[in-house]
Amino acid sequence: MKIAVCIKRVPDMDVKFKIAASGTAVDETGLKFDMSDFDGYAAEAALQINEKLGGGEITAICLGPDTVGETLRKALSMGIDKAVQLKCDAVPFDGYAIAQALAAELKGGNYDLILFGRMSIDSSNQSVGPMVAELLGLPCVTAASRLDVSAKTSGTAQRELEGASETVSFPLPAVVSIDEGVARPRYPSLKGIMAAKKKPLEVKPAQLGAATVTVTRMELPPERNAGRIIGEGPDTVPELVRLLQTEAKVL
Amino acid sequence: MANFLAVAEARNGELRKVAHEAVTAAKALAGGGDVHAIVFGAPGIAAKAAALGECGASKVFVVEHDAFAMHNPEAASATIAAQVKAGGYRGVILSASAHGKDLAPRVAAKLGVGMAADVTAARMDGDAIVASHPVNTGKVVSTITLSANPAVVSVRPGAFTPAPTGGSATVEALASAADPAASRVKTTGLTQGNTAKLDLGEAPIIVTGGRGLKAAENFKLVEDLADAFGNAAVGATRAVTDDGWRPHSDQIGQTGRLVSPDLYIAVGVSGAIQHLAGMRTSKTIVAINKDKEAPIFKVADYGIVGDAFEVVPKLTEAVKAARANR
Amino acid sequence: MEQMTAGNFVFAAILLGAAGFFSYNAQRLARYLQFGKGAETSRVTEMPTRLRNLLVIGFAQSKILRDPLAGPLHAGVFWGFLVLTVGSIEILLQGVINGFSYDAFLPKPVFALYTLSQELFALLVLGAVSVLIWRRLVTKPKRLQGPGTHQAEAVFILSMIAGLMVTLLLMFGFASARQHGMEPGLHPVGGLIGRAFGGLSDGAQFAGFAINWWAHALLLLVFLNFLPYSKHLHVLTSLINTFFSNTSGPGTKGAMKPMDLEAEGVEIFGAKDIEQLSWKNLLDGYSCTECGRCTAACPANLTGKLLSPRKIVVDTRARLLEKAPLLVAREENAAPVAHAAHGDGDAHGHTATGEHVAVAAPDPAIEALLGKSLLDHYITEEELWACTSCRACVQECPVSIDQLEIINEMRRNLVLTESRFPEELLPAFEGMEQKGNPWSFAPGDRAAWAEGLEIPTMAELAASNDTPDILFWVGCMGSFDDRAKKVTVAFARILKAAGVKFAILGQEEACHGDPARRMGNEYLYQVLAKAAVETLNGYKVTTIVTHCPHCFHQIGKEFPQWGGTYEVIHHSEYLERLLREGRVPMDEGDGERLVVAYHDSCYLGRYNDVIDAPRETIRRALPIVDLVEPARTKDRGLCCGAGGGRMWMEEKAGKRINVERTEELLATGADTIAVACPFCMTMIADGVTAKGATADVLDLAELVAGRLAPEATASAS
Repeated sequence: MKIAVCIKRVPDMDVKFKIAASGTAVDETGLKFDMSDFDGYAAEAALQINEKLGGGEITAICLGPDTVGETLRKALSMGIDKAVQLKCDAVPFDGYAIAQALAAELKGGNYDLILFGRMSIDSSNQSVGPMVAELLGLPCVTAASRLDVSAKTSGTAQRELEGASETVSFPLPAVVSIDEGVARPRYPSLKGIMAAKKKPLEVKPAQLGAATVTVTRMELPPERNAGRIIGEGPDTVPELVRLLQTEAKVL
Repeated sequence: MANFLAVAEARNGELRKVAHEAVTAAKALAGGGDVHAIVFGAPGIAAKAAALGECGASKVFVVEHDAFAMHNPEAASATIAAQVKAGGYRGVILSASAHGKDLAPRVAAKLGVGMAADVTAARMDGDAIVASHPVNTGKVVSTITLSANPAVVSVRPGAFTPAPTGGSATVEALASAADPAASRVKTTGLTQGNTAKLDLGEAPIIVTGGRGLKAAENFKLVEDLADAFGNAAVGATRAVTDDGWRPHSDQIGQTGRLVSPDLYIAVGVSGAIQHLAGMRTSKTIVAINKDKEAPIFKVADYGIVGDAFEVVPKLTEAVKAARANR
Repeated sequence: MEQMTAGNFVFAAILLGAAGFFSYNAQRLARYLQFGKGAETSRVTEMPTRLRNLLVIGFAQSKILRDPLAGPLHAGVFWGFLVLTVGSIEILLQGVINGFSYDAFLPKPVFALYTLSQELFALLVLGAVSVLIWRRLVTKPKRLQGPGTHQAEAVFILSMIAGLMVTLLLMFGFASARQHGMEPGLHPVGGLIGRAFGGLSDGAQFAGFAINWWAHALLLLVFLNFLPYSKHLHVLTSLINTFFSNTSGPGTKGAMKPMDLEAEGVEIFGAKDIEQLSWKNLLDGYSCTECGRCTAACPANLTGKLLSPRKIVVDTRARLLEKAPLLVAREENAAPVAHAAHGDGDAHGHTATGEHVAVAAPDPAIEALLGKSLLDHYITEEELWACTSCRACVQECPVSIDQLEIINEMRRNLVLTESRFPEELLPAFEGMEQKGNPWSFAPGDRAAWAEGLEIPTMAELAASNDTPDILFWVGCMGSFDDRAKKVTVAFARILKAAGVKFAILGQEEACHGDPARRMGNEYLYQVLAKAAVETLNGYKVTTIVTHCPHCFHQIGKEFPQWGGTYEVIHHSEYLERLLREGRVPMDEGDGERLVVAYHDSCYLGRYNDVIDAPRETIRRALPIVDLVEPARTKDRGLCCGAGGGRMWMEEKAGKRINVERTEELLATGADTIAVACPFCMTMIADGVTAKGATADVLDLAELVAGRLAPEATASAS
């Protein structure tokens, strides 16, 4: 199958972020970047589908400045065949602006399947995949935690809901965004890393849409101090429940 | 002052709590303007629709069709977009639930606008909507300004507590803008989650037992607590799975499952490096352990020093009570 | 000398045939070695060390003799063979030259000594071989059983040796009987046997001599020619192997071979089959006699895992002997002179230029054999991942085989070429790569343990143009593991109390990649190691002290591969030095009388010979200590189970290694178990918990810090 996987380069989340001087972005100094988690699942799903069906071609597409080349190389080292960078100075926050650039690239590609991660773990909007589907007029399934594409014509998927799950069938070509659960991304072998250096990486200008959503401020949430012992013995339980309800808001 | 449309989510013929939240959020943005709601469902859902008036909807459009018995994103998004245009709303509010997150971008793209997703707060600021949206796995909060008109906003479940206004709504039938039976994407089945079988990787809450539980049979304590939550899975430490108290597939840690649920409760877990590596990214961590020097307390947001056999049953009761009040 | 007889001609023909056949086999086996194309360093460096190994390990049998029973028995047979070979040459020459004897050349006393040596050593070898046969058949030691052993063949060979000795002694006996004990030289044994034949006729005595002479000479030639087909090939190769081996030096003991990852055209990284192993790895296969000393010492094997280091080597040999003949046939068929004229029906091939050679179609059976590989078809993933890299096998091998290198090369293949490894390693790899530590702890928290301790970082010192005496390399465990952090703090307190000017790298420290290297991920390792070398060289670091033996070994012994050369000292040695020089203000009192068992870390003891310093540190810290030793200790200490990346893998099969080791330590009756490695600390402490025991598990630094003089404690904390 001809598959496109749209990936995003995002910072490693396991750090204490600092806000940049602009006040509208995080300070990127010292941050490590990698493919967004869900996009890794999507790349793996694409590889597995073509391994199962045999043959085919997978293209990874990433929007952003030249630093995204590294992320695309990683996708290539996993076994993806070719890469396209849609070049722009900065990735907009507005998913619709991004979706227009991706749709312009994907339009003439004759892809059987276009995969996305469920969301990028930095901006967390979960919007680009279905927007691209709308722009291309393709059927779309979001947040698939199971995906079964065993023929070129159709597929089925499972989606996780709050306390439930649903199964979905869809015809191809289609856009599917991938949740965790589908496949853990493979670890690129050295062989893959070496091969990736020779695979094609095309750079094209991104045809971004006009943004109607912008970040006007970024700030750090009030810090919860870990390591807080709230008390001893069973009598502390009511206080714990209160904190879980009011402070942590998880109950 | 502007009019807003709220998408009210139903499942299995019942309105969900997030439906009321969406109406509440819409009401807040509308100021004195009208809030209309739209609900999709199998024939019969209209009978439930009027309840949306309590949170401030003055009119509820009901789109009934057998093909809306389950999630039908193509027909629903087409109908919502058509209604937004037809009704001249300033914006449409959805819940950032699984279904809401699926619908919102489709609606936005049909309307040709950007959207604000998963917001925890929102207000009108002149011609724009200003909203809060957690980014970078919640480690940073962004304030976003949405200038699009109409605006599409999805609101985080739980962020807008339904506020009764004492109002009432008229219910009006609406035809689907697209044939719901002709949708390409078809939802073929809906399975209500079986909490006992919740996968560790997907469970929003995990209760984990360690060697502090002393014996395999005492895992009942942990299971009971998980059951009380209703959406919790049970995990175990490596020591416990090595001893055969629990299957290896339950192990959380560097060599087992790596998890980051919203709430992680560690019972009788000391917090060895290999365990911490598997769960320290959980959003909220609760530790219950007899030894106040246990390393688990260093990563716990809330720690109780005490005997699991005394603390956990009380917590189980308290959780049951709290959930009964919802 | 007499005329050549018909018998001489017959024997000369036999000898020529036997020599020819032997030489054919020797060349065949030597040619097979050339299929091992894996990277290899020069094996003729540092000749004094190689000659020392040849003499001490080879001729003096130093490693063989570590086994108190089989050791002397084997040494007896080996030395006997050396001595008897002199006699064998005489016998073979006798066959060709009628009446040949050294007697003609040697002074009388020397010849007497010669004949005496032959008789006594023949008796010695016969005795030793008898016991060895008894062992094989009756007592059956465990290490001689299991996969990779050939029981029948072993008994057959031993019987052949016994036969050689019996015929030799009978020959001596008949010779003595014929000459009524008046033959030249000393023949106490032959004389004694000869008496039994005294009553026979001269003809019968001559016949008896001739029969035994022929039997002995022919058996000798058969034996010689059987060797290349048996595990007793080691008779021919083990001395050569010992000479070429690096396992006891030359070079750095235990350092893994660097890989050239940029090499052009390489399709297979690491070893999947014999071609990717080096000639030396293959020679190891020839040299193994399946004695099982390696497997008997292997912690994985001891606790019921599939891994047997012996099987690794035996499999390597078996695969070589299966595949190499096919490759030879293919090469010969592909030679420019097409082989078609010979019409070898079962062979086929292509020339080097790729043109098809006019031969029969590929034989599916041969293709199937060629299509197999050492990895998977002989050695499974499960075996390879069970290894703790503890090096016990390598150390025990009497003929200096490097089992670990084969395992490491195959792990490299699994990870670098196939991307096949236990799934739980993925987070460890990703953690090292992205977070600079295998557990993915936030890099920003690396120096959290040092908060409030006023320990300068290298960056801070450099900013004020200052340099410390030592860099304290904390290591990932010491930085992130709650238990190991206590050791880190204890060691820092001692350094402060002793007035040592030291610094840490703080957030600039990151994993050096040793776990990745041991797990076969050379690519990730090299990225991390090169980055660490750059950081260290950037600060012109000269002396590094660390409390992790893995950091100690990696930075000290393997960083030179990347241009990082520093004096690296493990804290056990550094503490010993500080205490010896009286630099640490210690409590004057005797303190408690503790019973302490010290557990040797593999990367300290076996890898780096740090054995006495930790014990001396304990004695100096605890003046009235009762230091006890577990059954397996010092350079034979049992691994804790964490090495070779096992720390990050599940241990599903068999008994847990840490429990086995902890039981051994607890059996000493110790109330305190001392360790000098944060990984050992985790494993042994877990073992103590699992056993429900109460013994304390403490690091050396904690033992010392606990005995700091009160005022030093006050000022340092």
